[in-house]
Amino acid sequence: MFPSNESFVGALQKKGVNRRRFIKFCAAMTATLALPPRYVAQVASALEKAKKPVLVWLQFQDCAGNSESILRSSHPSVLEVVLDLLSWEYHEIIMAGAGHQAEAALERVVKEEKGKYLAVVEGAIPLADDGVYCTVSGKTALDIARRVCSNAAATIAAGACAWDGGLVAAAPNPTGAVGISEAVPEAKVINLGGCPQNPANTAAVLVHYLTFGELPAVDQYNRPLFAYGRIIHDQCERRAHYDAGRYVQEWGDEGHRRGYCLYKMGCKGPQATYNCPSVRWNDGTSWPVKSGHGCIACASHRFWDTRSPFYDRLPSVPGFGADVTAGQIGMGVTAAVAGATIVHGIASAVRDRMRTPPGASTPPATRGPAEKN
Amino acid sequence: MSDLRAYAWSEAHKPDPASAPVRVYVWELPVRVSHWFIFLPIVVLSFTGYYMHNPFIVARSSTQFLMATMRFIHLVSGSVFIAAFILRMYWFFVGNHWSSWRSFWPIRRRQWRGMGNMVAYYSFLKKDLVHHVGHNALAAVTYLLMFTLMLIEIITGLTLYTHVRGPWLLAPLFSWIPRVIDIQNLRLIHFCIMFSFFAFVIHHVYSAVLVSWEERNGLIESIFTGYKFVPRDELEEESSWQGK
Ligand code: SF4
Repeated sequence: MFPSNESFVGALQKKGVNRRRFIKFCAAMTATLALPPRYVAQVASALEKAKKPVLVWLQFQDCAGNSESILRSSHPSVLEVVLDLLSWEYHEIIMAGAGHQAEAALERVVKEEKGKYLAVVEGAIPLADDGVYCTVSGKTALDIARRVCSNAAATIAAGACAWDGGLVAAAPNPTGAVGISEAVPEAKVINLGGCPQNPANTAAVLVHYLTFGELPAVDQYNRPLFAYGRIIHDQCERRAHYDAGRYVQEWGDEGHRRGYCLYKMGCKGPQATYNCPSVRWNDGTSWPVKSGHGCIACASHRFWDTRSPFYDRLPSVPGFGADVTAGQIGMGVTAAVAGATIVHGIASAVRDRMRTPPGASTPPATRGPAEKN
Repeated sequence: MSDLRAYAWSEAHKPDPASAPVRVYVWELPVRVSHWFIFLPIVVLSFTGYYMHNPFIVARSSTQFLMATMRFIHLVSGSVFIAAFILRMYWFFVGNHWSSWRSFWPIRRRQWRGMGNMVAYYSFLKKDLVHHVGHNALAAVTYLLMFTLMLIEIITGLTLYTHVRGPWLLAPLFSWIPRVIDIQNLRLIHFCIMFSFFAFVIHHVYSAVLVSWEERNGLIESIFTGYKFVPRDELEEESSWQGK
């Protein structure tokens, strides 16, 4: 770990990252933040002057996918710059220290860097049964989160679980899991939803913080607008097929091989916001829809509950089996009403006839104006 | 007149000078206009909306613009529908007795009795229809329900539109809704209410034909012309409690 007062450029040079790569990184970050190119210089000079902020990375009920996501970004400039941008004092997966030593390091950051360090939270926090479902070194996740996040300058909720409980909080949520802002309401939280979160966005939030001294503009869920402000469907490369009316009908069919739109396969791109199509994954190589699978809206609020079934357009209707779609129910109801109407019509016609008094010359049905008199 | 009288008879109405039918202007022009400009857009909206749910026609060439066209038609007919709906809501307050909101809410004991009579008639517990100049009480409550469903359809529709469109003039009215009810559930509601319209149209046309037949009052024609033929005593009876 680097001493926290070391300058960022110094650290980069030690690592052998040259200026060209550094500027490239600044340009990429500026673009991700949706800022005009003239901000590249400002980002670069701010990063050069910035003191490496201390960062602690907490993991609770998680799969470590967000850590993997950020550590596996193979693009050297992003990886190195992001890692070197910060002084990582605590991260269970990658820190060298263990046991009391590690816990002491965390405690030291909370005490000495109070109000100045950044916290990243990965994973949900269980509240049921006094939080016994997730403990680290004898303390519950809730206790640790309260202590660390409420003393941090800002907390980044990395991934769906830290944001809204994610998979862990999906129904029936046996551990009472919640996201960090619900567990620690006093913490200043920015949510980076997604399963996992995209490392480019995490880096961009940090760069924004270092450049402007504040967190980026957020939406109603406290997610940065630059990453969560646009609908996936509007940025999708298959959109032309959608508008034209060309759809994949089943996996592996002709349309699938030709890259048609995945709407009928349950793609939730129209109901999801994320910059996934533009920043993509594995250093901009691809993203789910590009590789042939519909979007499951992993960056949407409580997506396990709200966006499933992932391969149908609409949610299942409560009270019916998972195999019955809303369309089938609707058609059934309509057909039942039509059938009942026919039966009722026949019965009414019979009643109408029965009402005709015996011996009447004409039934009412045929009595018209002409027959009077 | 005597011809008309004969035509208006039914077995329930024995020939009686007091029940001579009178031509009454029941449905004013805005009522008829809004009726048709609610019905026709719903037909179009249902077709295009179902296509948007399940694109059952698959384009064969890349020059087609099927889904985009469907969505465009959906939005345009949706706007017509909303305009007609607003017109009808306005007419609730300025229209005549039979189109006023007062005749829709079951606030009088008489209306509850009327509803009971209609239910009894429909379920064959009662042989004869009780006649009405405007809507019968049961129909009125059904329309009230349909108007409510239409309103939900409009609100969910505009919310979904706001979701796609982003900021626009009325966005602040709708952009908070997906936070309370998830966008997927809004789509489900928007979709399912369509089938209640299908069911309603079947029942509505059927009961209009049935009542028109039983009462011989020109009910079916009235939605085109506005006039119904009502026995004089009924009209007098109804005007006696109107406005009370
Ligand atoms: S694949 Fe999904 S996101 Fe892309 S155009 Fe089709 S529905 Fe939209």
